[in-house]
Amino acid sequence: MRNKFGSVYFSILGLFVLGLGIAELIIGVTGKSFTWGIMEISGEFLLWRGLILFFAGLFYLSSIRNLTEIHQLAKNVIASIMLWIIAGVQIFTIVTESIPGGEEGGWINSWGDFLSSYLPPYIPALILLPFSLVTLYYVYATKK
Amino acid sequence: MLKVEERWDLIDRIAKKTVKFGKYRHTLKDAVAELTVKPLTGIPVAIAVLYGFWAFFRAFAGFFTDGFLVKLFDAHWLPWLQEIFPASKDSWLYYIFVGDPLTDNCFEAFGMLTSGLFVAIGVVLPAITAFYLMLILLEDSGYLPRLAVLIDTVLHKIGLHGYAIVPSILSLGCNVPACTACRILETKKQRFIMMTVLAIFIPCGAQLGIMLKVIPDTVGWVLLYLLIGYFILGFILNKIVPGKSPEFILDIPPYQKPMLANVGRKLWMRTSSFFTTAIPFVLLGVIIVNVLYLTGVIGWLATGLSPLLSGWFGVPKETVGPLIAAFLRKDLAVAQLSAIKMTKYQMITSVVLVSIYFPCVATFVMLLKVEGGKGFLGSLAALVVTVFLYGGLLHLIWILLGVA
Repeated sequence: MRNKFGSVYFSILGLFVLGLGIAELIIGVTGKSFTWGIMEISGEFLLWRGLILFFAGLFYLSSIRNLTEIHQLAKNVIASIMLWIIAGVQIFTIVTESIPGGEEGGWINSWGDFLSSYLPPYIPALILLPFSLVTLYYVYATKK
Repeated sequence: MLKVEERWDLIDRIAKKTVKFGKYRHTLKDAVAELTVKPLTGIPVAIAVLYGFWAFFRAFAGFFTDGFLVKLFDAHWLPWLQEIFPASKDSWLYYIFVGDPLTDNCFEAFGMLTSGLFVAIGVVLPAITAFYLMLILLEDSGYLPRLAVLIDTVLHKIGLHGYAIVPSILSLGCNVPACTACRILETKKQRFIMMTVLAIFIPCGAQLGIMLKVIPDTVGWVLLYLLIGYFILGFILNKIVPGKSPEFILDIPPYQKPMLANVGRKLWMRTSSFFTTAIPFVLLGVIIVNVLYLTGVIGWLATGLSPLLSGWFGVPKETVGPLIAAFLRKDLAVAQLSAIKMTKYQMITSVVLVSIYFPCVATFVMLLKVEGGKGFLGSLAALVVTVFLYGGLLHLIWILLGVA
């Protein structure tokens, strides 16, 4: 049951990750930007981020068959780690940019500007981050 | 004193108490570790790790430098120093220590106490702290040896092996410990190739930090040219330098969680050595260049070297000052380049030239110490030829693209 749910879940997530990776690669090559709802595909290192998401998507998809088997789960884990790296440094960047006051401002940002730094739009990896955390459940279940 | 039989008995007893026998079960950690050394899965992971490394480096350095230190130096330190400095504003003493009296930022002042301190503490210190922190995490987690295995095939093309990734990455922090790390390579040929390519083509953390500040849009191009140069020169040296390049056997440790105390201790050790080795050179560099400007030596050299700089390399003759400063500190030289008016392409060429032109004096001493006189002269010859050809090649590319 756990295996079946995981396979369905990660095949959907894998397709999303792969698709967004391809989208980032295309937009990165054309040099344009794209915003849809709370998601924004633009910014620095877009090609690199696209490439990483593309491979993460492939790893998710290749892990869905017999997911709870240790080698298959390992592929799933590295796909999630790749996603967490992009999302992690993005969160770190948002935090570091939200604290200082800017060129003309004081030492520390105003409360309003500080809070607005955390508002959307977000890059795809950040939106995908909560969905990738399901991997942790499978790692935990395997350990048990 | 135990007899041989008694010793074996003791070993047996200890083994029975401490060693568990049975079938080894492959764990998830083992499976992940295997995937990170297989090229098909390992290379995408390596791309993600290096992306994380670089993005963290930028965010961390930007937070301290742009967020706080620029403001501290420009809005407080510089005006205070300009006000209280005892010498007259048109005196040579003021020029050397405070720099341009009309400037409103430490970056363009070029005094020892303004630009010198700002470059060392305001720009370079956050950059090398971020770099060493990431490097230590990679080392202590066990990822670095896996990267060595992954890159082994590529480095064999230039006569090195996977372990060469250690001095190469260390060199991105500082070339001096990287030269020492070259001792892990087995043959004289390998050590010569490694030290020559790292001294010429790998920019140190200080230089990377200042490049991010001065030329954020073109730093990627500069690094790409340097990377290409690293492999071209390595390939050529592998063909012409006599000697052997043996295979290597590497013991890969399991992945583990880095210990906070170890990370802290290593980080302190490495960044504190920056204070003792780099900062005096930065300050001395500013003094020497300012004295050379005051005495007219820079002007004389700029005129003399103008055909080479403008004709062959396609950069303004004023770059002669930063090139002299580069011998003391490359980060300082890149900062000085930012004040010279030039096109984006001239800036790329100038920064590449500063990078591949003579290694800083500390690296120079290290090269001499590790390679010996003969090897050192060989590296020097490779360096002169490379600077001349590679700098000219870049100019040729700009001419062919119609941008020079």
